[in-house]
Amino acid sequence: MTPDASPLEALVERDQTHDCAGFGPARTCVRVVAVADLPSRFGDFKIVAFWNNRDAKEHIAMVRGEVCGASDVPVRLHSECLTGDAMGSLRCDCRDQLEAALTTFGTMERGILLYLRQEGRGIGLINKIRAYALQDRGLDTVEANLALGFRDDERDYGVAAHMLRSLDLRSIQLMTNNPNKLRGLEQHGVVVSGRIPHQLPATRHNRFYLETKAARSGHYLDFTGEPEGTKD
Amino acid sequence: MVYPRARMLDRRPGEELHEVVVIGAGIAGLACAGALAAAGRQSLVVDKGRGVGGRCATRRIRDQPVDHGVAFYHGEHPEFLAALAAVPATALPGWPQRIVGQGPPCQPEAFTRGHSRLAFVEGATAFPKALARGLALRLATRIVAIEVGDASLCLRLEAGPSLQTRELVLTPPAAQTLALLPRCAELASARALLDLVPAQPCLTLMLGYAGDGPRPEFDVCYPEDSPLQMIVHDSAKRSAAGQVVLVAQATRAWSRAQLEREASSWQATLLAEVARVVGPWAHEPVWLESHRWRYAHAGSPALASPMLVSLPGGARIGLAGEAFCAGAGVQGAYLAGLALARRMLAGQACGEETR
Repeated sequence: MTPDASPLEALVERDQTHDCAGFGPARTCVRVVAVADLPSRFGDFKIVAFWNNRDAKEHIAMVRGEVCGASDVPVRLHSECLTGDAMGSLRCDCRDQLEAALTTFGTMERGILLYLRQEGRGIGLINKIRAYALQDRGLDTVEANLALGFRDDERDYGVAAHMLRSLDLRSIQLMTNNPNKLRGLEQHGVVVSGRIPHQLPATRHNRFYLETKAARSGHYLDFTGEPEGTKD
Repeated sequence: MVYPRARMLDRRPGEELHEVVVIGAGIAGLACAGALAAAGRQSLVVDKGRGVGGRCATRRIRDQPVDHGVAFYHGEHPEFLAALAAVPATALPGWPQRIVGQGPPCQPEAFTRGHSRLAFVEGATAFPKALARGLALRLATRIVAIEVGDASLCLRLEAGPSLQTRELVLTPPAAQTLALLPRCAELASARALLDLVPAQPCLTLMLGYAGDGPRPEFDVCYPEDSPLQMIVHDSAKRSAAGQVVLVAQATRAWSRAQLEREASSWQATLLAEVARVVGPWAHEPVWLESHRWRYAHAGSPALASPMLVSLPGGARIGLAGEAFCAGAGVQGAYLAGLALARRMLAGQACGEETR
């Protein structure tokens, strides 16, 4: 460790012997294992890689500014979505959400985006594509999505809470429209000092997705506006 | 879900009324009925077969048990392992120990770290028999149609009075469930999902040899480049085996290609293959029996959870079975049955909101 190591880099050494009882029903424990600069089209960030004791998924944090020991740090949780984030799918608003959050953080003094690799556990990606195929046939139902393994309400926020704890934050301002995320993090001892609304306009492809997300999960969304690009 | 007593169903003459009927006395159906019973919900388990267990099957041949379906149990889930540990039979922990051949196991995860394996000296049916204890069973009963009534479902039997129930659990393989599932809009997505996981067949040969003759040095063999998926040294599981018994199971692809052919033709090919792998002595069995498992393995990859669909009148249909749990296998069937029972007890059925 170099003498001028940043507070984030110091976490790597701190966590080499970190071992706790774990967060959430899965008793997940994470360690900060690697930190590097990540200049991006959204601005200068540091990327933090986490190891966890439950699966081979490598969760990461995109960190803007000095966050260790800070209060009211803006935080966004983003769940991996291969089709949206990487392929630019219009069936969901994941890529827009991701870009909007990173763009916002790029203009701020501080901010953290947790990129949670929650997709593709087991056969998650196969079943997601099966779910899209059902949607194409108009057979997208709550029961079918449950059978395919999608249950919004039961998401475990233990990993995210532990990642925030590991980054040594005093309190966060959560960028979300989802009250479950607020509650989920608070249950694991994260101090949420405020909420930053995060809303994007609907498009003709994802309007149904957004509406059902609001109806099923109690998201704070407003659909009074016309979706972009539709006249019907 | 609590049913108001005042809203009793009209029982038509010659119909039996049940609160819950479970179709299929395999592991999923028994696990579901058992979990319901543990919470005080009585159900009737109906199966077309003469015994319980479905593919966890044992035949008695010349006074010796022969497992011609599931060859051994494996899993890592604590609840599944606890259920196996509670079976009042002689377990052989870690069986099979002697494994040869470079071919792929039917379920490769069986041999991954963290998975326990075991067999029962009394036969594979020891497990379903233990699960079935205390449950109301009606075996050798074939259901030919399910009709949706106002607040109930009517199950028409091949013979005897119909069964009327408010809640129905279907656990047979996808094709058989599809054939029975009422064609109503609420079940359209269930039909579509069942179409994704069609079960695959397995042609099975059972071979008996003299107890004082040669026997293989393995418990299980996975031959390479063969129509055989596995050869099981079944008599190695028995404490006092009077005869050497081998069970040979064909691969899915080969079974599918041969499924509708005369049994004598595929029996001869499989017997020759057993002799090629095990030794020429195996070509002359004292007896030979076979079984055509039309639905041996759930289609893969499986779905993740059981379904519970509410019909407009208030009746509910649950779907469970090996195909409704990530991971599949016997453990998958057991966990899917448990998960469905828990959802039924929690009363958290979603109305099917079609788009």
